[in-house]
Amino acid sequence: MGEFFQALLHHSFLQHALLAGLLASVSCGIVGTYVVTRRITYLAGGIAHCVLGGMGFARYMQVVHGWSFLTPMLGALLAALAAAFIIGWVNIKAKERIDTVISAFWGMGMAVGILFISKTPGYGEDLMSYLFGNILLVTQRDLQLIVGLDVLIAGTALLFHKQFVAVCFDEEFARLRGINTQFFYFLMLALTALTVVLLVSIVGIVMVIVLLTLPAAIAGRFCLRMGSMMALAAGICAVLTSAGLAVSYQPDLPAGATIIILAGVTYLASLAFNKR
Amino acid sequence: MANPPIQIKNLDFAYGPVTVLEDACLTIADKEFICMVGPNGGGKTTLLKVMLGLLEPQKGTVSVFGQAPTLGRKWIGYLPQYASLDPSFPVTALDTVLMGRLGKTRSLGFYSKADHEAARAMLARVGLEKIEKRPLAALSGGQRQRVLIARALVSEPKLLLLDEPTSSLDDYVEKELYELLQELNKDLTVIVVSHDIAFVSSYVERVVCVNKQVHVHPTSEIGENIIHDMYGEHVHMVRHDQEQRHG
Repeated sequence: MGEFFQALLHHSFLQHALLAGLLASVSCGIVGTYVVTRRITYLAGGIAHCVLGGMGFARYMQVVHGWSFLTPMLGALLAALAAAFIIGWVNIKAKERIDTVISAFWGMGMAVGILFISKTPGYGEDLMSYLFGNILLVTQRDLQLIVGLDVLIAGTALLFHKQFVAVCFDEEFARLRGINTQFFYFLMLALTALTVVLLVSIVGIVMVIVLLTLPAAIAGRFCLRMGSMMALAAGICAVLTSAGLAVSYQPDLPAGATIIILAGVTYLASLAFNKR
Repeated sequence: MANPPIQIKNLDFAYGPVTVLEDACLTIADKEFICMVGPNGGGKTTLLKVMLGLLEPQKGTVSVFGQAPTLGRKWIGYLPQYASLDPSFPVTALDTVLMGRLGKTRSLGFYSKADHEAARAMLARVGLEKIEKRPLAALSGGQRQRVLIARALVSEPKLLLLDEPTSSLDDYVEKELYELLQELNKDLTVIVVSHDIAFVSSYVERVVCVNKQVHVHPTSEIGENIIHDMYGEHVHMVRHDQEQRHG
């Protein structure tokens, strides 16, 4: 552990990694609380896996057709928003078997990504870092993007806190009180999509859902209100990502997987405490 | 008031091929205390959702205070079925009541001071002024229903619509709740959905029986014949005599 702090002083890649985790925690705490209380974990998982399609497509166009503006991060962003809109729309329209529909998008998103990546020269490393994240490769530009998304997400959450709480708690009642609940449902899914993209660079597509839900689930065991649950979830997420980074550094473990194990163990341990 | 709270004429409603309501007619007058009863699947909740503008009937007209339900529903305070809410959701009693201010308060930012004052006043009105900071999950069933009634009242409705408000409560708590509703009925119209007809009949003026068709009976008429009409032959009635009702 001491070595980690030594290295932190000297290596900018570690500073970037630590900062990325801390910054992403803000959105993670806010949006994770929506996902957990509104019970859309599976839907969020579907969005996360569709992101691979966008990243694979973007990387393919970059390498094979020279579309340098279309970075994998931008591809991820577009794919996540598109998936959120489509899955959300299906969820409202389809009356049954919504979990099956989500599974279809979940799998197709991954498959599209894998097809594009397999046709992109030198694909192996890309695929691994998309799937499992690589927090040590976070660049200055990524950090700027994370800050931008944080501001957007936290700002939206603050402006519409009343509506989001009401829609999560009792959507029908909110609708009767004149709230455009469909709009806020889609806005919530869009925020979820943005947060998924933030977290993908840290823990990767496959494990995003853990970081999105477990800090909020742990916080939910101790908090009495949505606002405090968000704050505590963000704090827990920050501690988990930082600790995971520190623990994984010296034995050279994959940081993403280490963070996820820590999150899972902490969550399971929290179950031992009596709920508030 | 010129326009009655609820006026339904020749209404048909079907979920696909399944007819739920047929040629339903119902007019509810201002300041009435009405109970809606009927078997499960008889169409009570459907009728309620039609009144709230959540479902669109295939035939017939519905007006709420003389307007289409989607417009008129701003005058309705609604208490949903108990089971439809997540019992462990992280909100306090006050947070819950505040949700009733949506549509009246500003759209951006947090609830105003006036919203908080209105919500506290409403908690006091239902006798819960001391528990505003308690989480909803920590309240008793009766307290929780009172909080939800306060949430319905805080939007200053003219009609209170309660869907099975007492299904999860002990008899004693149920009685207290009906006494509260009776008190509130001085100022507004109250419609309660219940399957406990015998209990309710001592508080309400008319009973609306919903079983595909809609029939209205004054409480004095409620007897075995009607009960058997609605539920079949094998129902045992429990008589509540005058002593117990007011004791």
